[in-house]
Amino acid sequence: MRNLAALVFVGGLAFLLLVIFNQFDFAQAPMIVGQGILTDAPDRVGAANIVTAVVLGYRGIDTLGEISILFAASVAAGLVLGRRRTDVRRDPPGGFILRSGVALLFPLMLVVGFYIILHGHLTPGGGFQGGVILAAAFFLPLLARPETPVNHAGLSIVEGGAGAVFILTGLAALLQGGEFLQPLLDNGVLGELVSAGTLPLLYLAVGLKVGAELAGLMARLADVEVDEP
Amino acid sequence: MNTIVLTVVLPLLAAFVVPALSRVSPLLGRLLGPLTLAYAILLTLQIWLGMEGKPYSVALGGFQPPLGINFYVDQLSLLFTFLTLVTSLLLWPWRNETEPRQYALTLLLAASACGLALSGDLFNIYVFYELISVASFGLAAATRSGASFAASLRYLILSGLGSVLALCGIAIVYLQSGTLNLAQLSQLAPETLNTPLGMSAFALILLGVGVKGELFPVNSWVPEVYAAASSRVSGLLAGLVSKLAVLVIVRLLVLLFQQESALQLMLILGLLGTISGELAAWRAKDMNRMLAFSSIGQLGVIFIAFSIPGETGLFAGLALSLHHLLVKPALFLLAERWRGSLAGLRGAGLASPVAGGMFVLLALSLVGMPPLPGFWAKFLLFTGLAAQQSVIYQVALGVVLLSIVIEANYLFRVVMNLFQPAGDNSVAVTSDHGWLNLGTTFLLSALLIAGMLFMGPLGAWLEEVAIQAADPVLYFDTVFSVSAIH
Repeated sequence: MRNLAALVFVGGLAFLLLVIFNQFDFAQAPMIVGQGILTDAPDRVGAANIVTAVVLGYRGIDTLGEISILFAASVAAGLVLGRRRTDVRRDPPGGFILRSGVALLFPLMLVVGFYIILHGHLTPGGGFQGGVILAAAFFLPLLARPETPVNHAGLSIVEGGAGAVFILTGLAALLQGGEFLQPLLDNGVLGELVSAGTLPLLYLAVGLKVGAELAGLMARLADVEVDEP
Repeated sequence: MNTIVLTVVLPLLAAFVVPALSRVSPLLGRLLGPLTLAYAILLTLQIWLGMEGKPYSVALGGFQPPLGINFYVDQLSLLFTFLTLVTSLLLWPWRNETEPRQYALTLLLAASACGLALSGDLFNIYVFYELISVASFGLAAATRSGASFAASLRYLILSGLGSVLALCGIAIVYLQSGTLNLAQLSQLAPETLNTPLGMSAFALILLGVGVKGELFPVNSWVPEVYAAASSRVSGLLAGLVSKLAVLVIVRLLVLLFQQESALQLMLILGLLGTISGELAAWRAKDMNRMLAFSSIGQLGVIFIAFSIPGETGLFAGLALSLHHLLVKPALFLLAERWRGSLAGLRGAGLASPVAGGMFVLLALSLVGMPPLPGFWAKFLLFTGLAAQQSVIYQVALGVVLLSIVIEANYLFRVVMNLFQPAGDNSVAVTSDHGWLNLGTTFLLSALLIAGMLFMGPLGAWLEEVAIQAADPVLYFDTVFSVSAIH
């Protein structure tokens, strides 16, 4: 009976949304803000990747909110999962192939992760995507050797430090008489690695924060007590 | 004046740093949060005195709206920023010395609530709303009992559904008008959103944001979470977070959806919430559940008040919101030691007369006994409802009167129980309330009495706030005159 009610509810909601979405003429939407940003961004922000100009420039406070959401989720997960009895058995270490594969992959993934973060203002990618790759890089050794202790203290320092760098960069602009998160430094030449003012620095902070948070989150999930067989 | 952004940013900064700092120095970790909040309160007061009642807008990052995001600072948003900071400081989790994570979550909640009150951009509001949600999931689960995990999971699922609905509504608004800036939307709304599609966008946002506002069909998480979470967290969620959700809806109603049907939709949902909440509270057998259900009922009344068109509705709704924000956390704090069955409370009031006396005072104000502020707020609602021609508002008047009768019945039943001599069969009652909870409740009760004494000036000032907030033209001019100067 409950399932039937749920089915009726989901069906009704889907129908309602379909009816609503049927009313749009897609690809005809007014582009007030979109067009404005496309013309304004290249000179103003100096990032070749306009998505980055939106993410860190025009809507920088949204990005701050988003990394805070991730932080809140990781803190909440730590609150719920953060205690483990010391006497519980851990998973056995991985085999030879997994361990050598991890040793090979780890530096590669670090390089790719940092490359994507640091080129966020030039090419598609950036702090969020690169941060996830960094987190995966640090999670791999944990899969190969589950008994290695995770340095949660270090992770929380990276997390807090990166978040603080993001906010302090914003506050520096406020101190200089501008607005919070106003881009500082020179825009440089469009398309060069050192360009777009403080945007690459912000993306580095985002990348490290996302990486540390996701790595900590996955380590906590992997560390949940296993039921004894 | 652009330092108003610090009220959002400094608590965020403190939240990021607190877990690491607590590892280095537990004392600093404990002090950082309250100090940050206290500083933010001072800052808000300073800005409030400096603006001399004239609203202004801050373009974040120096990007002028509508391309960038702006914070809109008027008396209403400052009032809610101030209330957010003060409430989070009063309900700070002092006891949890060993859990810096709870400090971080409370700070995140305060920061996002300030952002919600100040933001002038629809998507930015959504981001802060999400942050409030995620922080409150963590806080609700923080007691680590099985019941609190189950309650938080249910809360999480319902809240997730609500977020998706709200996001769909925002997407519709953006597709129809091409901008997310509230000021620009207020100008475009009459031609782009005054359609069935615009109404569906409002309905989706109302349901989505209504999850936190304890709106009728999406409030099934309320009793379980308030019964399982710590009383400070329940006070924050019922007192503060619900009001901010209502504030978002009210801003959207004033600026974007001026159709009559939008108001009527909210009125009907509010009516259903009032009836269902009060009846459920009347039948509740447990203190926290009773308070949770009665909170649903009172939020329903607040929704009814805000659905009265014009300044009258805003004025009455604001008065009711402020009153509820003051009384509900105090009641939750009192209920901390009176958890469990209502029948087991026989004699608890005699065992601790101060707590019992404050419960009586708060209950009287909640019901609306004449000299207390609760009466004044409800009186505003009645005059507002009675002035409306439409039949549905007259029905609402009847429903609110009925809800007061029910409310009086169950609250006085509890009071009678509290002051009856304990019988042989009653459970042993703990009379120890902890000086912290008792002190906070005392402070809130004192504020209630102060509100009663200074009712005249307070009312005049609140009316001024309501008139300023009810003016979409002022909102537009404030946001866009600033960009003309730059």
